[in-house]
Amino acid sequence: MKHLIAGYIVVAAALSVFSSCGRAPEISFNEQVRPILNERCVNCHGGIRRQADLSLLFRHEALAAAESGERAIVPLKPDESELLRRVSHADPKHRMPQDDDPLTPEQIEILHTWIEEGAQWEDHWAYVTPKRPALPDVSDPAWPREPLDYFILSRLDKEELSPSPDAKCPVLVRRVTLDLIGLPPQPEDVRQVCVDGESYETYVDSLLASPAYGERWAAMWLDLARYADSKGYEKDIGRTIWHYRDWVIQAFNDDLPFDQFTIEQLAGDLLPNATESQRIATAFNRNTMTNTEGGTDDEEFRVAAVIDRVNTTWEVWQGTSFACVQCHGHPYDPFTHEEYYEFFAFFNSSADRDLDTEYPTLPLFEEEVAERGNKLLENIAQLEEDIIARVRSNALAEERRAWETTLDQPEIIGRVRLMLQNEVKRVVATPEEQRGDGQRWTLDHIYASVSDDPELERLRTEKAEIERELRTLDAVHTPIMHELPFQRRTHVFERGSFLLKGEQVEPNTPDALPPMPEDAPRNRLGMAQWLVTRDNPLTARVAVNRFWEQLFGIGLIESLEDFGTQGLERSHPDLLDYLAVSFMEDHAWSVKSLLRSVVVSSTYRQSSRVTDELEVKDPRNRLLARGARFRLSAEQIRDQALYVSGLLSLKMYGPSVMPPQPEGLWNNPYDARRWQTSQGDDRYRRGIYTYWRRTVPYPSMTTFDSPSREFCVSRRVRTNTPLQALVSLNDPVFFEAAQALAQRMLNSESPLEAGYIYAMGVAPDLETLNTLEPLYRDAKAYYTERESDVITLAGDQGSAELAALIVVANAILNLDQFIMKA
Amino acid sequence: MSLTKEAQHAYLGHITRRHFLKSAGAGFGAMAFASLGAAGATDLIGSPDPLAPRKPHFAPRAKRVIFLHMAGGPSPLELFDYKPTLARLHGQDCPESLLEGKRFAFIRGIPKMLGPQANFRQHGESGAWISDHLPHLGRVADKVAFLKAMRTDEFNHAPAQLFVHSGSPRLGRPSMGSWVTYGLGTENANLPAFVVLLSGGAAPDAGASVYGSGFLPTVYQGVQCRTKGDPVLFLGDPEGIPRDLRRKSIDAINTINQQQYEDVGDPEILTRIAQYEMAFRMQTSVPEAMDISREPAYIHELYGTAPGETAFSNNCLLARRLVERGVRFVQLFHWGWDSHGAGESEALNGGFLERCRETDRPVTALLEDLEQRGLLEETLVIWGGEFGRTPMLENRSGTDNPFVGRDHHSDAFTMWMAGGGVKGGITHGETDEIGYSAVSGQVHVHDLQATILHLLGFDHERLTYPFQGRDFRLTDVHGHVVHQVLA
Repeated sequence: MKHLIAGYIVVAAALSVFSSCGRAPEISFNEQVRPILNERCVNCHGGIRRQADLSLLFRHEALAAAESGERAIVPLKPDESELLRRVSHADPKHRMPQDDDPLTPEQIEILHTWIEEGAQWEDHWAYVTPKRPALPDVSDPAWPREPLDYFILSRLDKEELSPSPDAKCPVLVRRVTLDLIGLPPQPEDVRQVCVDGESYETYVDSLLASPAYGERWAAMWLDLARYADSKGYEKDIGRTIWHYRDWVIQAFNDDLPFDQFTIEQLAGDLLPNATESQRIATAFNRNTMTNTEGGTDDEEFRVAAVIDRVNTTWEVWQGTSFACVQCHGHPYDPFTHEEYYEFFAFFNSSADRDLDTEYPTLPLFEEEVAERGNKLLENIAQLEEDIIARVRSNALAEERRAWETTLDQPEIIGRVRLMLQNEVKRVVATPEEQRGDGQRWTLDHIYASVSDDPELERLRTEKAEIERELRTLDAVHTPIMHELPFQRRTHVFERGSFLLKGEQVEPNTPDALPPMPEDAPRNRLGMAQWLVTRDNPLTARVAVNRFWEQLFGIGLIESLEDFGTQGLERSHPDLLDYLAVSFMEDHAWSVKSLLRSVVVSSTYRQSSRVTDELEVKDPRNRLLARGARFRLSAEQIRDQALYVSGLLSLKMYGPSVMPPQPEGLWNNPYDARRWQTSQGDDRYRRGIYTYWRRTVPYPSMTTFDSPSREFCVSRRVRTNTPLQALVSLNDPVFFEAAQALAQRMLNSESPLEAGYIYAMGVAPDLETLNTLEPLYRDAKAYYTERESDVITLAGDQGSAELAALIVVANAILNLDQFIMKA
Repeated sequence: MSLTKEAQHAYLGHITRRHFLKSAGAGFGAMAFASLGAAGATDLIGSPDPLAPRKPHFAPRAKRVIFLHMAGGPSPLELFDYKPTLARLHGQDCPESLLEGKRFAFIRGIPKMLGPQANFRQHGESGAWISDHLPHLGRVADKVAFLKAMRTDEFNHAPAQLFVHSGSPRLGRPSMGSWVTYGLGTENANLPAFVVLLSGGAAPDAGASVYGSGFLPTVYQGVQCRTKGDPVLFLGDPEGIPRDLRRKSIDAINTINQQQYEDVGDPEILTRIAQYEMAFRMQTSVPEAMDISREPAYIHELYGTAPGETAFSNNCLLARRLVERGVRFVQLFHWGWDSHGAGESEALNGGFLERCRETDRPVTALLEDLEQRGLLEETLVIWGGEFGRTPMLENRSGTDNPFVGRDHHSDAFTMWMAGGGVKGGITHGETDEIGYSAVSGQVHVHDLQATILHLLGFDHERLTYPFQGRDFRLTDVHGHVVHQVLA
């Protein structure tokens, strides 16, 4: 009976389509069909498992004959489509999805109508170049200040919600200051805008011009760049790459347009006449980990770094989880296994190869030794050429072949660096005429390092001496990207393993996206330029969504890292496209200009009060009928406490610093380095300058959800835990801030009020003051009786009054309103 | 869970928390209890607190886990895997057939075979083979299930340790303890749910990542409790702040936060209030749990403990105290089993013997103590390293060397499990005559993980978390429950 009813519905649907012949299709592939396929079918018939030789990912695959010879989908002919027969089969043994609940009659009807209409595939919205949408009509044309407000209000109109009133001036000033420079406003800033009448826009411009702006936004970017001061893996020893961190800060402060910002980081070394700064920018991709553990295989970890570069590029610029495609076709998005390695080929010809020396690096010399240093670099380059020429000369040909055939002998192979031994064996196992340029190059270098040829020995010695002198010169060596003079061969790695090489591929971008221009170079530079063409459907959308998330707490698509077909729903599709187009066209990729347009909008300025109605209708504030309210980031929490207490050093740039942390955290069996607490100003630098060791990140930052930076991270979760309370109450860094704030309060006529004003920019309300006062009185009474505790807390010169103020300051620095951005 | 469900989950969690706390607004203490209290398991979806106790997929055999990780890769050939044939082959060249297609960390060329560096005898009714280096363990042989043919994919320390604990050799995945606390929550909100204790003078090779939460929320990461200084970082009040003044501070903070809540209506504030209460309680409950000095003398005698030191024996006793108080997952790391023989501290006739002495008595004591308290039945204890060691001698320098050692070996090694639904007194799996390869009953690391989750009541294929576009799980796309070791 059930079956009959389902059949009836199908017939009815068919009739209804028949009668609507000539009209636009009824069924939307993206909205109605794809969700069914993704949820119920592609697990077995998709990019990973193609059971019965059927995949429903691409139209041409779905229309082809499967293993049985049947065609799952025959456009216009539902009766001949095996898919429909199987999903509505009465016998559970034959019905799809197998061993699972059947599709609902409604879903079957959708598929039926869709096939009848021709079974057209639609591109997923994210793979279609965005067009500028028209501004929608709104109920109250007086409300919008910026174009983006029309999109927000129009959606609120539909939901029958009204926007919240503007936040109170001091609240808004604190919000925008924390958002743009990562620090709270000074009480004077609040007065200037809220009492003295400086315009909000002028204040915003002053924030955008502040050097602190670059430090705040770099903090976000460094999570994406997986920046750290250590190499990762077992020993996780130190790495000098802070010049890159400084480059990012500078780039934000200079408002380097986002397209240029992209190109320099991915391919600055390949730009014509690349500057020092453009080459430092490429350290973005030297933030990959290096494995220095004994007995590891350099080639394995060189490949791991290349894979990380591919995955990171796709996550950062294309909001696409490309990592899946390393081992097999994408489970649900239209990217193939081969396409992964075509893209991999763009990154496969850089000179780095998991060496302990971090080769290649760019030395930045101190001025007085720069000339000598650059001269030595030239000499080394010349010697390297000579060495390779000698290795390849006929004079050594015979000796070399003999060496290759005796590599099995322990005393011969034993001279090759342990971590290269496997690779050299793999190369030698390939017949000479079949070796690629990369393999030949590897072999040349290894042979050059072990040969007994006197000429080579002479050249090696000379090079070693120059290198020794180079190390004595005052310089910072930053790992950078540098292209080999030839292309390494790229193969598809079967199941993602670097030892299982499949077919050879050439550099290319995936077919699902608009192609690279015909004349673009097929290298990293061409690839980087392709990312920022006006046609690329993802780059601008992904970027504006990230900036939006930083300000509002949730992206217009919540899954910042996944714009694919399984990504989360967009809250305001047209707004996302509007901002993306506007970012490219109106703002000419200027991040400052984009951010300015958002923070002056009416949407941004709303009060963050959660009314009962909003709590029920929109608890997560996706619709933005109110302003954002969420916890500050790990860096901001530290910086703010130090700043309001007057301790924060505003010194910028330079090597990472080691502010106090508990003893005994660095305890690596293979690395004797210890945490050397910084002295003077360096104890109080902004969090972005804190030494970031991947396996032992700074504890108070991790507690507030900063990632370990082993890999690219798009979104930090925001937890709310008791361990956080312990940090802000007891961590000596935070307690020192309370002590310093208390000193500031002591000099004021009404210290409790002053302390609150330092922290929040405005005076406390009466209730707050009435709560702090008894705490102060009780504390003072206690310390008046306990001189020894006064000395412990407030020093030899301290008084019971100061000690009590420290207790109050500690409480103020733990208030919810202080830890949150509201 | 799909991403859509994730969003739904967060939404439901939000709603529930709001209503829960609104209806429980009778003072801070009561509120904190209402939201975070120990009573009653709830469903994952809609849980107001990410650490609230939850029910697994089916009735569990074990409720908590103690994982004794012997970091460095202890040699099974000197502990459990008795190989008389290997003794006869001692000193001979290794046949080339054993080397073909294998990758080693340090062995190059043709190594010599190395006979067992220990005497063995059988113990208990089960007749388990245990070497004389472990004179105590024989007492509990009949409680233990030995897995003699373990295998892993990795032969370097950091990746292999990550593999055992997170199911992946690369950094960035949640550790087993994180998965378990994500799935089960905790039964004592006043202690961290997942505690890590280190000994042996060094942290594990892969650092905090072996107990990290990966892409799971950080509330699920392992909290290292230390035996020197604050047991949990920043647990102690700053010097000069007495307890009752701290209490008054928290009251003032929470009063102002409550006023703020009334003004702005953000339920996150109520969570913060509860978390400050919990932090205050942890300040008492953690030091109490970590203080072994009040244990009776016979217990110290049993474990060989000396209060105040950082020692594996102390950590074993702490593990018992913690599970007794409802901590879900206790992870011990004891470093120093990397017996290459390159020097005395890492030789089978050097440091290895020390490690045996340090661990044998407390491990035995732990099983006995858990049993006498009726805890063993529901506590799963696991012992093992990240890989095994070659039956060949490693001789890196190629010269005469008074110290002997073995290289890393991923194809065959021994681990054991006891308690929590495990069948005691059995041996599962067998290696060949020289302990080089599995002959039967091979258990891959992912199988072990599937089995551990099974004992805790989880279908390892269904304990998942969405990340980067797909559902991840501890066992990746592998893993079969080893039914032979289930009681």
